[in-house]
Amino acid sequence: MPESVSIENVSKVYAKSKYALQDVSFELDPGKFLVLLGPSGSGKTTLLRSIAGIEKITKGGIFLSDRCVANEKIHISPNERNLSMVFQDYALWPHLSVLDNVAFAMKRYGLKKDDRQRAAQEVLDKVGLISHINNYPGELSGGEQQRVALARALVGKTGLLLFDEPLSNLDADLRDRLRIEISMLTREMAATSIYITHDQSEAFALADVIGVLESGRLVQMGTPEEIYSSPATPFVARFTGLAGEVCVKVDHCLSDNSAVVRGLTENAKPFIALGNGMSAGQSGRVMVRPAAVQLCAITDEKAHLSAIIKDVAFRGHGYEHAVMLEDGNQFANILSHHKHVRGTKVGLIFNFEGCILFPDTKFDSEVLDLSA
Amino acid sequence: MGDSDETRELKITAEILDYTKTDFTPNQRSGAHKQSAQDTKDGVLIGLLRRSKSLYRLGSLSFWMVLFLAIIIPCLSFLVLAISPRLFDQGSQFFTLENFKAVFSGSTLVALTNSLWVASLAALVGIFCALPMAWLFHRSDLPFKKVFSGAIWLVLLIPSWIPAIGWERFVNPDGILFRLHLWSPWQEHLIMGPFGVVLLLGLRNIPFSYLAVSNALAGLGQEFEHSAQVHGASKFQTAKLVVPILFPAILSGLAIGFAEAISDFGVAATLAYTSHFTLATYYVYQQIGNFPPDFPLAAAFSWLLVLAVAIPLYAQAKLSKGRSYQVLSGRTRQPVMRKLSVSTKVAVVLVLCLFYFVAVGIPTIGVVSSSLLSDFGASLHITFANYKAVFTTAGLGAPLERSIEYAAITASITVLVGFVAARKLSKTKGTSAKVLDFILLSSVAIPGIIFAAGYIFAYNLPFLSKIGINLYQTTTLLVIAYIATSLPTNVRMLFGSVSQVADSLSNAARVHGAGAIRSWMRAILPPLSRPIVTAWLLAFTGILLELPVSELLYAPGFPPASIAIQDNLGNYHFGIGMAQTVVATMVAFAVVGTVFILYRLLAPRGWRRIGGILRA
Repeated sequence: MPESVSIENVSKVYAKSKYALQDVSFELDPGKFLVLLGPSGSGKTTLLRSIAGIEKITKGGIFLSDRCVANEKIHISPNERNLSMVFQDYALWPHLSVLDNVAFAMKRYGLKKDDRQRAAQEVLDKVGLISHINNYPGELSGGEQQRVALARALVGKTGLLLFDEPLSNLDADLRDRLRIEISMLTREMAATSIYITHDQSEAFALADVIGVLESGRLVQMGTPEEIYSSPATPFVARFTGLAGEVCVKVDHCLSDNSAVVRGLTENAKPFIALGNGMSAGQSGRVMVRPAAVQLCAITDEKAHLSAIIKDVAFRGHGYEHAVMLEDGNQFANILSHHKHVRGTKVGLIFNFEGCILFPDTKFDSEVLDLSA
Repeated sequence: MGDSDETRELKITAEILDYTKTDFTPNQRSGAHKQSAQDTKDGVLIGLLRRSKSLYRLGSLSFWMVLFLAIIIPCLSFLVLAISPRLFDQGSQFFTLENFKAVFSGSTLVALTNSLWVASLAALVGIFCALPMAWLFHRSDLPFKKVFSGAIWLVLLIPSWIPAIGWERFVNPDGILFRLHLWSPWQEHLIMGPFGVVLLLGLRNIPFSYLAVSNALAGLGQEFEHSAQVHGASKFQTAKLVVPILFPAILSGLAIGFAEAISDFGVAATLAYTSHFTLATYYVYQQIGNFPPDFPLAAAFSWLLVLAVAIPLYAQAKLSKGRSYQVLSGRTRQPVMRKLSVSTKVAVVLVLCLFYFVAVGIPTIGVVSSSLLSDFGASLHITFANYKAVFTTAGLGAPLERSIEYAAITASITVLVGFVAARKLSKTKGTSAKVLDFILLSSVAIPGIIFAAGYIFAYNLPFLSKIGINLYQTTTLLVIAYIATSLPTNVRMLFGSVSQVADSLSNAARVHGAGAIRSWMRAILPPLSRPIVTAWLLAFTGILLELPVSELLYAPGFPPASIAIQDNLGNYHFGIGMAQTVVATMVAFAVVGTVFILYRLLAPRGWRRIGGILRA
């Protein structure tokens, strides 16, 4: 049975009053795949380890399917939480064979050795390691070791699967392949999964729900689409992928949660950006997603801003450009089918669907209400 | 008509590249290219390149010659002697196993059996103490753990014969206990016998076992425990699962402890000998030292001793590969420190103080008290006459001066050759590196006394005199033997640090214009400076009071400190012998302290920083 996960005002304080987690709360429905996204030191590992029971929380409560497993007084040990975990550096027991490593996770059910091993073999077959069952972890490649770790997590069919940056030690190609395997196998099992990463593309590819952590706080939680189109803070916007930022002044607000803004340079033309709560004449900053900007000729009347091409890179499906705006801000990852030569002047056209407006003052701590 | 400038340049460049194809670096190539444009310097450059390649070949040849003459020939000829005495004019048969039969009978068998069970027990004592110590120092918040773990080096650095004679003097009827009216016969009976031998060798083993297991414990993060727990393991199941991960380290500790104990000569020649408890290493010494020496029997016996050391060491080397936790990942794991209660901390600190009192304190009291008291009687009158005699009487101070000189020469050459060997091992692949690795690993398994026996035998062979090599009973041979015995450990020690220094460091210096020497000085020497200094000090202190090789190879009339001390003790001049021991030990500590202080004062700040990181 997949577990529901409820995190209520969880805080974790290390020595010297250093907060690793501050009042983190969220609900996760059974069978959902949650990716916790955040930079190093944002508290995502601490949160995952707290859910696993490896860390004790200082305040708040953790509930797995309505059962309180941790609060200020209670700390249910990891082995009694009915969960599995894939560790960043695999944590396979080096003195056990691949088969025994995987079969170990079945011990909790009191099965006979043969039954445990049969179950382990089935999962190892699924992850493509049936021919390696008698090998020891030290004899496997990094990718194979991580597959064993994945098999160990899957074999017990626990209600909750935890993933601690499982792909971070692998090369790009292997990472993509294993990511697809994780996605398929966990969904096949219908288990609730919590996965942590600092890689936004990994998060968007895997998640049903994404939670973004910053300095121990959960700053936004939503579907990948929500996070992408309506980031709650400039931090979330930046961490989930931007082409660049434009300093603007609000021309006037529109009725549909958007505003007409204009860049601060002389030749800038007005364009639409999403976001409200700002009034005409206020300074702001527009966060532009890579897909929401396109290059055009400098003479094109549709151009909202002008820029100079600083760099160009061939990406197979087109050319990726880096440009510098007249105000000195830089844009990168702008894809175009045509190659623009370094040093030429170009125009930029913005599509409002990927342009998110934030007030320019203290924007780092403010949260815009985009749902209104 | 001569060639045009361009054609000439191309020709010269091609010639240079022919030379530089294999060994020379980008800097030399670009330098060569620039030079080649200047006609007048072309010949000079090519000459330099030729010369540097010849120098490299000469250096490499010299290195292998040193290894061949200092390690392979003496050891191999001595061991071959056991099965083929005729080959060396020591008997009538070209092949015989008679010497091995003789080994398994009478007093020879007793010595071998004694060594085997004593070394086994000593290995167990070593690991039994080292394991909890390693856990306490690496995985708990024990107070003063840096002091306690640092003090382990004290046990390691002091030669085994010093604690042995310290204990002897402590429990002897005219020792300090006796003079304090605390003596009773059982103390002497307990220490002067197998128990005392096992105790001393066991204590001696603790640092070796500690070093073997502490790395494993320090590197064993809690991931293994956590992964067991999150997959449903109870505390007992978790322990059952995780403890075997330490087995390779524990078995390594046992193997190293056993090898160290069975090849030890210091305790065998002092406390064990005085207690009439013959151990294998001393038996070999007796066979060589007696007149007429029985080389074939000693050689056959040495085979067994070498096997007794080599088998566990080989097993240990096998264990440390394959299923070791180290192969999993290069990530540094942060172990969680277990918090001890106050009462546990107090109890543990008291136990550790007791341990150091037994391991270092009592021998020190034994040695120092004997140096300050008269040799015999029950008087507690303190006198500095023994120290005065050491510094004023002709002939008493000279052995120490001699040993300092030998130790300094040995340490310097050992570090130099050791560095070259470590670099060859870490940077070159192929047969030569494998052969070198095998020679050095095998040498570790050869006890010092067998090395010395091999030297006596090999360098006393008549044919060497015929070709003008007369090294037997000279100081030169003693120093060569010192170097040969220090080298394997030294290389192992430097190897770790040398292999950490990436080639890209010196390559970066070369491609940015530094010459071979400058790039070495700027890129390689700084990160290796501290390991080199430490290796030098270890070699120095190891040789300063070295006993087994000195015992068999010192030049008559020129005894080093350890021999002079043994002579004084053998002649019942306990006070003077102990005063010499104290002075020599103080010198060792003073040299270590001075060198570290000088390094701290003179080495550039960056060197110390890098050294510190490497050391950590």
